[in-house]
Order: sequence, then structure tokens, then C-alpha cells
Amino acid sequence: MVRRIQKVAVIGSGIMGGGIAALCASAGIPTLLLDIVPFDLKDDEKKDPKARNRIVSAGFENILKAKPALFYDKDMDSQLVQLGNLEDDFNKLAECDWIVEVVVENLKIKQDLFSKIEKIMKKGAIISTNTSGLPLNKIAQGRSKAFKEHFLGTHFFNPVRYMHMLEIIPGKETKKDILKFIAEFGEKVLGKGIVWAKDTPNFIGNRIGVFSGVRAMQIMMEMKMTIPEVDALSGPAIGRPKTASIKLLDLVGLDTFVHVATNCYELCANDESRAGLKLPEFVSKMVEKKWLGNKTKQGFYKKEVTPDWKKIDKVINYKTLEYETFEKPTFPCLDASKKAATLPEKMQAIAYGTDKGSIFMWRTMAEMMIYSANRIPEIADTIVEIDNAMKWGYAWEMGPFETWDAIGLKRSVDRMKKEGMKIPKKIQAMIDKKVKSFYKIEKGKKMYYDLKSGKYKVIETSPLALNLANLRANKKVVKENKSAAIIDLGDGVFNVEFHSKMNAMDGAMGEMIAEGLMYAIDNGVGLVLGNQAPGMPGAFSAGGDLGYMGDMAKNKNFSGIDTMISDLHKMILALKYAPIPVVAAPYGMTLGGGCEVCLASDRIVTHAELYMGLVEISAGLLPGGCGMMHLWQRYVDAIPGNVKIADWAAYLIPALILVAQAKVSMSAQEALKNGFLRATDKIVFNKDNLIGEAKKEILRMVDDGYAPPAKKKYPVMGQEAQGMIWADMNNMRIGGYIPKHMEFIAKKIIYCMSGGEARQGQLVSEDYLNKLEREAFVELWKTEETQKMAAHIMTTGKPLMM
Amino acid sequence: MRDAYIVSAVRTPGCRRGKGALAQTRPEKLIVQAMNGAIEKAGISKGEIDDFMLGCAFPEAEQGLNLGRIAAQIAKFPDSVCGAVVNRFCASGLEAIAISSLRVMSGWSEVCMAGGLESMTTVPMGGNLPRPLPDWAKECPDVYMSMGITAENVANRYKITREQQDEFAYHSQMKAADAQKNKYYTEIIPTNADRYVEKPDGTVVRETFVQDFDDGVRADTTMDGLKKLKPAFAATGSVTAGNSSQTTDGAAASVIMSGDALQKYGVKPLVKIVAYTVAGCKADEMGVGPAYAIPKLLKIVGWDLGKLKTESLLIELNEAFASQALYCSQQLGINDKKLWTVDSAERRINISGGAIALGHPLGCTGSKLAATIVANMRRKGVKYGIESMCIGGGMGAAALFEICE
Repeated sequence: MVRRIQKVAVIGSGIMGGGIAALCASAGIPTLLLDIVPFDLKDDEKKDPKARNRIVSAGFENILKAKPALFYDKDMDSQLVQLGNLEDDFNKLAECDWIVEVVVENLKIKQDLFSKIEKIMKKGAIISTNTSGLPLNKIAQGRSKAFKEHFLGTHFFNPVRYMHMLEIIPGKETKKDILKFIAEFGEKVLGKGIVWAKDTPNFIGNRIGVFSGVRAMQIMMEMKMTIPEVDALSGPAIGRPKTASIKLLDLVGLDTFVHVATNCYELCANDESRAGLKLPEFVSKMVEKKWLGNKTKQGFYKKEVTPDWKKIDKVINYKTLEYETFEKPTFPCLDASKKAATLPEKMQAIAYGTDKGSIFMWRTMAEMMIYSANRIPEIADTIVEIDNAMKWGYAWEMGPFETWDAIGLKRSVDRMKKEGMKIPKKIQAMIDKKVKSFYKIEKGKKMYYDLKSGKYKVIETSPLALNLANLRANKKVVKENKSAAIIDLGDGVFNVEFHSKMNAMDGAMGEMIAEGLMYAIDNGVGLVLGNQAPGMPGAFSAGGDLGYMGDMAKNKNFSGIDTMISDLHKMILALKYAPIPVVAAPYGMTLGGGCEVCLASDRIVTHAELYMGLVEISAGLLPGGCGMMHLWQRYVDAIPGNVKIADWAAYLIPALILVAQAKVSMSAQEALKNGFLRATDKIVFNKDNLIGEAKKEILRMVDDGYAPPAKKKYPVMGQEAQGMIWADMNNMRIGGYIPKHMEFIAKKIIYCMSGGEARQGQLVSEDYLNKLEREAFVELWKTEETQKMAAHIMTTGKPLMM
Repeated sequence: MRDAYIVSAVRTPGCRRGKGALAQTRPEKLIVQAMNGAIEKAGISKGEIDDFMLGCAFPEAEQGLNLGRIAAQIAKFPDSVCGAVVNRFCASGLEAIAISSLRVMSGWSEVCMAGGLESMTTVPMGGNLPRPLPDWAKECPDVYMSMGITAENVANRYKITREQQDEFAYHSQMKAADAQKNKYYTEIIPTNADRYVEKPDGTVVRETFVQDFDDGVRADTTMDGLKKLKPAFAATGSVTAGNSSQTTDGAAASVIMSGDALQKYGVKPLVKIVAYTVAGCKADEMGVGPAYAIPKLLKIVGWDLGKLKTESLLIELNEAFASQALYCSQQLGINDKKLWTVDSAERRINISGGAIALGHPLGCTGSKLAATIVANMRRKGVKYGIESMCIGGGMGAAALFEICE
């Protein structure tokens, strides 16, 4: 029998259950979301279906309101979620192919629930628990063999849509084919990264996470450091999120963290570092006071508003439990980290400095690495699982063992020994064998050091998960410069990989795109524009490099800017009209120029997390890479030909607003609604598969007999559109919603997008539109205001409204 | 010239745009019910009407073509009854009354019908697709300006504070709530409305129900609540959704006759139409219109401004925005609070609330306010009534009515 998941049930409508339901619905699967009937129903409510569904309805409302959004397309996807309660709708569980339990962490309640489910479930359905710590074997106690064969742990992380990790915990009797199926389903359909865990307390991510967080607090107290100091040191400076160590707990909720940590401490009686799992007392006191973090508006941190409406940040003093103001912490090692170019260099700067901050970080990192090594094979069979868990579940850029490689295995172990830390035997054995690192790449395959067997083994990944770093190590780089590289993906498909800071586009990148295209035309069948920069969601390309243009403007080299735009247009149009298919594979931030290369390609294969927009107005500019023209062409292509031209204005206005107000989509679905994506473009849930899917798309297009687009004239709305928008600009200006220079830019955007002096419905050439765009672009750079706006966003990252 | 008399004046309830009770009802159905209501109250047969003049501010799409004639047909008036549409934006309904009156006064007609209609749900303010002349939009876009911005301009230029505006708005709501409670809106005809309902099995059915009250009145309005609202049109402005008129769906109609016709049909007149005028002002502060139109009206009938204070006069000063209504009352010397507060026995301006509470269905308003002021004049036994409003593009209109014994 072919196994399919045509309907999912999620039991429990809290933030996790709701998040899982939203993810399944967003992936297109009808989802039944159940919760309990309220205990406190009044007599007249006992038969009222609305009252009986009160809890699940409230949970669902929270999911709809959640920020960041949990649904990809709230209006459409949420329709796939069917709400119900565990009494009236219980039998509907029999229709479901996968039932996920996400109820309160109480063993008895879970056991009772599963005993009831067992009686009605569809034969062969998969049952899983999202428990974050209760032992699976106890949860399934008393169930039949058939049940246990179909029962496993599926542990998602919060927020479900954004955290890549799915820990799969096999039960003792779970069938192999069930595990394989759910792993494939999780990877392909739900887009998650699978981490194989074991039935041990808190599994992998939260076990290492609890140790790391609790130890950071303990050492902080021992070394008399402050919470802001700890967070400044353990955040982006070592490739971890801004929420670092302690601010993260405000996000998670202190009550949740205390629950998870206590569970860990209680159940890990034999842990060699058990004391490192015991939370400092002040945290429990905070929980008693209901200072639970963001959800109660105060936790370790608190935002206060002064009488003159200024927001100030305060942090708790763990000795007095009073909130105090604080300064941004400074340490020499932080400055050194900031200056370092690569993450390993940053980590070395932090780990091997001599200041107090460095010593603190060295201790926490060293202990975390040793602790992780000691957890194999207890919680995971390989270092890869632990590294992936911390990268995908905690958004660290490098897991414990990758960190260890980054700061140097030998060097760090020498220091650990000198300081009297206990080196795990398996690690000592590596040192004795002169093994230099946990990872290495050989023959294009990434390998890991298997602590069990003492040998390197190949990391098995899905064939779709093409990894550019591996290809690079396997000498598949055809050519590269400081900003981009041409990489051979095999089968005649080449990839231009961006690798500048935030993948900002500069001249070197433009050259490499043009060269990559020529190379692919001469030697292959198609070109992918794709990269794999780290981060959640990371940046495909955050836009154009303003510094270079700013310098030209400062030197009054406007003809230089003019030439640059003219070259950019040539490159963009070369991509568009190339005789081979060009597929862009964007994800995350895809702004300005990054968006424009996507708009020029034949097809877009995008990750579901796509933040796409033409945001140039925030930098004092307008799109300079044919973005406005290509956006309008997408709109025109979407209008059936029998719609009258007068009605087209209804299409132009939303397109204009996207550019004039710098609107950015918050998902690929929204980019589709905004008209940046076409219906033929493809949305991929798993970021790891993006390049592989793009390559597949190229091969499919070639197989179908690819014909490049023909150069055509397109109709524009002409001056009619300008009349409509200019009249409204007047209101916006007087209303104080648009400052003077931005109004000036917005009018230029409208002028370009509607075809300058053309009349309504006139067919105009691309050359003409590009000329309008180029002239407007150069003219803007000539203004002092644009130069100021560009310089401001470059130095501060924030737009200057003027 | 002869005299012209209003013999019946009715209106549908005014209901909130989008969410209100009339939002799913086609505008044609609203005006047809108002027309039939007016005929019924006048007690004459439909065939006696010579011509129907319909005021509408956005006569396009569902309100397009010549809805004056179309509505007469849908209302089953005989083919002999003609119809036309007139547009003077917010004074359209009053303009229709004036044109109909003039036809009677000149002797060209004996019996006319005037009406006003706007379903702001159906055709949004500004129309479905505004198309300003590009060249003029670039040279001077003021005639295309958003009404909210003109209200901000009035508030800023003439220093009408947020607090004053909110206070005025509060009293409008309270007066309307009080009038609703006391059933003073005798001019309302219960109106059949449509709604489209999805049944549990997925079939969609159109249901009809009767709506007989204005659904935008908020009896629970407080000054504190008004204070908390964000500016609606300008980032740091003072004009809010709470101190502006509501956007509304509604229709109104009245029957206008000559003295000869009164005798012929044995009909009792309600009021006489004494005078009507319009006056121009700057487009970017169109709300000041009444401050020009009312003095011009008084000049026509030979009154001085002081006469506005007489006890034998009610004023319906349309509340497009509290800022402009307050400014106009200042300019006209009738800004004493006792003239418009809910708890004042001497109140004579908008005595049963205004558009802030009851809504401002643009082209309908002139006709709607006529129905209201006639009802109020007769209920209170006041001899004169002035109806006035500001008009987009920079105008004011004003009319004087005199009660008939």
C-alpha cells in the first residue's frame, strides 16, 4: 500500500500545536485541530457548540494573530484548518493519516488520550507526540504492538514555521518504514531539517541548550558579570542570534524554560555535569513573580516608557531582582570579533582573548563542547545530529563540533588540559591519532568524524540537497572573484553563487553573472542564480552596493553612474533573452537588485521564506535594473487580453504602490500575491533543496524544449496614471505621510513605470523604458538628498526619511 | 414667481458603509423605496409627477447611467415621469430640491420629485477609478484633494483644536442617541434591505429584512474614547474617524408642488422653499463653504446675520467634519455652545444630531437633511429652517425653509 498523508490531526491548540497545524495547512494538507472542552461551562453553554470549542477557537485566533506570521498565506491556508473539540469531534481522528499530540506535558493525560485514540484510529495511521521531554516508552505504555509500531516522537521548535529543525525520536518498536516515511515527509513536504534523536531527556537540542544556557548563567554569577554582558558576548559575535543566551529565554518564556530545565535535571541523575543543569534560584523567583518574558512584557529584560514617550531598555539585576538601566557592554574581544572577516576568525577572537569577556566565553564554549562530546552515543549517534540540532533548533551558525573545529581542536584541547578540564576519552583518542578536525571534505563529499568507530564517514544527504560548499571543495568552481563564483552543478547546469557581505550586488558580482551566463551558454544547458548564505532566513541578496555609487556621486562622476546602469541593463537583459533557461533560486531577503535579477530570470524557484521587494526608495533611489519594467510586465502578462485598457489602471496602482512604498513580502505566497512571482514559479519548503530544485527545473525546461522569450513592446498606462497618482501624492504630502524628497522620487517611479510621456495603452519599447529609468536614476544621484539618504542607510541600516 | 412647497420628505435610514445594514443592498433599491415613500406620504398618484431630479455625488457604475429616469421606471412610475441626475457633490440632494422648486416656481411644472442617493459601499468616495487630468494634477491638484486633508487645513489655519472637535462630535452622538430613544426621526421610512447568507450546506441565499434606524449612532461615545483615536488623514493631525462624518449608505426623496397643485390635490404643505444659493471658496479648505453661503442666502432674503440667533430658526449645518462645522459657526456668530450641546434647552443647531453620528451619504445628504429639518421644524413648531453644507472642490450651499401652518 502506498502511504499518503491526506489529512493531519493536531491535538492541542497552544503555540506549538497551532504552529504545527499552520505549517501543515500551509503545505496544503487539510488539518484537524482539536482541544479540550472548557471545564467551566455554564449549564446553558453545555450544548452550545461555540462554547464547547472556545479553547480551540481562542488558540486558533492566537495563531492567526501571531507575529511573525505562522501561516504563509493567512487567508487561504487557514481555510484548511478544521476546528473541533476532543469530545464532539473525537471520531474525526479516524479520518486522519497522521495524528500529532501536543497537549500539556502530563504523562497521565497523554496516556489516557492515546488509549482513547487507539480505539478509533485508522489502521496504519501514524501517531506522534511533540513532547519536549517525557519518555516515549512511558507515554506509549499499555498500548498495543500495532500502536507502538506506528508511534514516534516528532519534536518541532517554536516558532514552527521559522525553525528548521524537526527532531524525530524513534520508539523502541517503531517500524523502520514509518520512520523513513515521516522523515521524508518532514523534509520534502514540511521543509524541515531532520535530526535523529533518541528517547533521552529533552532529546538533543534542548539538552545541549539547557546545559549551555544554565552554565552561562552560573558562570556569569561566579564571575560577577551582568546579563547584558553575557548576551553581548554570546550573540552575533560568535555566530548566534541577537537573542544570544539569556534574552532568548524571554522569547521562549521563563516558565517553559524552567519546566524544560527542571525536567532535564530531574531525569539526568547520572549526568557527569548534572550540577550544570540546575537553574540558579533567582530564575525560579522570577517565575513566581510571573515575570515570564515577552508574554508578560517583562522577564530578564523589560521595556519602559519615560513620561516623554521614550522607550528605554532595562535589565534585571539578579542579586536584587530590580530592573536597572544598562549601557551597551564593551570588551576588547568584541571589537576584535567585529573586525574579523570570517566566523572562525570571530570565534577565535572571542575564545582566545585575554579580557574578562573572553575568559567567560572560553569557559562556556569549552564546557559546552566537552558536554556535547560526552553525550555521544547517549543522546545521538553522531556529531552531525548535535551540530544540526543547535543550528536548526537554536539558529546557531555553527554547532558545538563545528565551533570546535573553528577554534582549533588541538589548540583548544591543550588549553582545556592546562586549565584542568576533563577531556572526554573519545576526544583524547582523536588527538592521539593526530586527527585535526571533526569535519573534512574529500572527493566532494562532506565527511564527519565518527566518535564511535574513530573513523571519518560520509554525511548522507538527500540528492536534492545540493551543497555549494561541498562542490566548491570538490573543485567545481569554474571561476570566481571577491563577490561571486561560477560553480558547476553537473549535467550542464552552472550556478552563479553570490558571496559578498549580505550578498550585496556590486560591479564584480555583475561581471561574474555576465561571465557565468556566457560560460553556461558556451558549455552547458542552463544557469542557476543561487547561493547558500547562512542565517534564518538569510539573504539571497540584500540589494545593490551603495558605497561604490555613492563615491562616484560624491566625485560628481555621474557619467560613471550612467555607464554603470547601462551595463547593468545589458546584463539583466542578457539574462532575460539568453538562449538557455535562467532560474533564480531566492530565499530570505531578496531586495532591490537581488529582486531585479530574479525578475529578469525565466523562472523563480524560491524558498517559502521569501522577503522580496523593490525597496530602493528607502535609499533615496529607484530600481535601476529594469525592476519596474519587469514588475509591470508581470502584471500585464497576468491580465487577460480582453480586459479593457481603461481598467488596467486598477492593476497599475497596486504595482506602483509596491515600489513607491517599498513593500516587502513576508512569504513566497505573499510575493505571488504581490505579483513578483508568477503562477509558474515554484515554491520550495525546504531551503536545503533549493539549488537542487532549481537545477531540476532547468533540466525540465530543457527537456520540454526551451525557447527564450521574444522581445516585445508592452502597453503602458502613460500620463493617465501620473494624473491619478500626482493628485493623491498631494494628500500624502500635506498629511505628513511622505517627506518632500521621497515624494520627488515616488513621482519619478510613477513616471518611469507608466511610460513617461506615452498615452494610455501605447505600446512602448523596452529600450525607451530603460532610458527613462537610467535618466531618473542618474538624476536622483545628482541630488544632495539622495546622496544623504544612501549614505544614511549604508551606515545605520535604517532609512532616512526626507 | 409662484411659491413652491414641500409636501412630503422622507429618507431611508443612514447605515454604515461596508459593515452597515444597507451595505448589501443595491443603491437603486434604496432610492426606489424613498421615492415610493414620498409619494405615499404626499397622497398623490405616481403619474402626477412631472420630473424626478436625483442628486448623486458619484453617479457611476451601479449609480451610473441616468439613474433619475431608471429609478422612476423601477419604482413603476408611468412612462410620462421623466428623470435626471444632478451632481454638486455633498449638496447634490439639496440642488435637486432647488431645481425642482425652480421648475415649480417658474410655472414649468406643477408637481416634481427631488431626491438624493449615495451607497458609499457600492461606489467608493472618489469613484471606482479616479482619473484626474494629468496636466492639472501636476499644476494644481487642490480640486482633487482628499476631504480629510481639507478638514485638517481648516483646523490648522483657523486653530480649531482637537478637543473642540471631539467635544462637538460627542454632542452630535449624544443628540442622535437621545433622538433615537425618543423616536424623533419620523422622516425615516422602514426600508427593505438585502443580505447574502451562506447556509450550513454551502448554498448562498439572498434574504430580505427591514431596517428602520440609523446604525452608526454610538450612544456609548465618551470624550475619553474620542481622545484616544488616531488622526485619520494626517500623521500629526487632529481630524479623526470620531470627529468626522461617517461614510454611509442612504437615500431620500421629497415631493414639491405649486400652490395650485396643493389645491387641486387637496394636499397640506409642510414647508415653503424660500431661497437657495451656493458660494465658492478655496478648494483646499472647502469646509468653510457655509460661512460664505449662509450670509449670501441671508442677503437674498434681506436678513442680517443677527437674525441667525433668533429663536424661530433651526439650523442643519452638515457635519462633514467637526473642524469645519465649528469654524463656520464661529464665522456666523452662532458658536455659543448652548446652541448645539445636548443638555441645552436652547439648542438650535443640529438638534437631533448630525453627520458625525448619523452619517453623510454624500449626494443623498442635501435631500436627507431637508427631510430631517422639516420633521424637526414641525415637531418643535419653529418658523424657519436653514440647511447648509460644505462642498468638495470649494463651495457651500444654503437653503431657507419656512413652515406652513
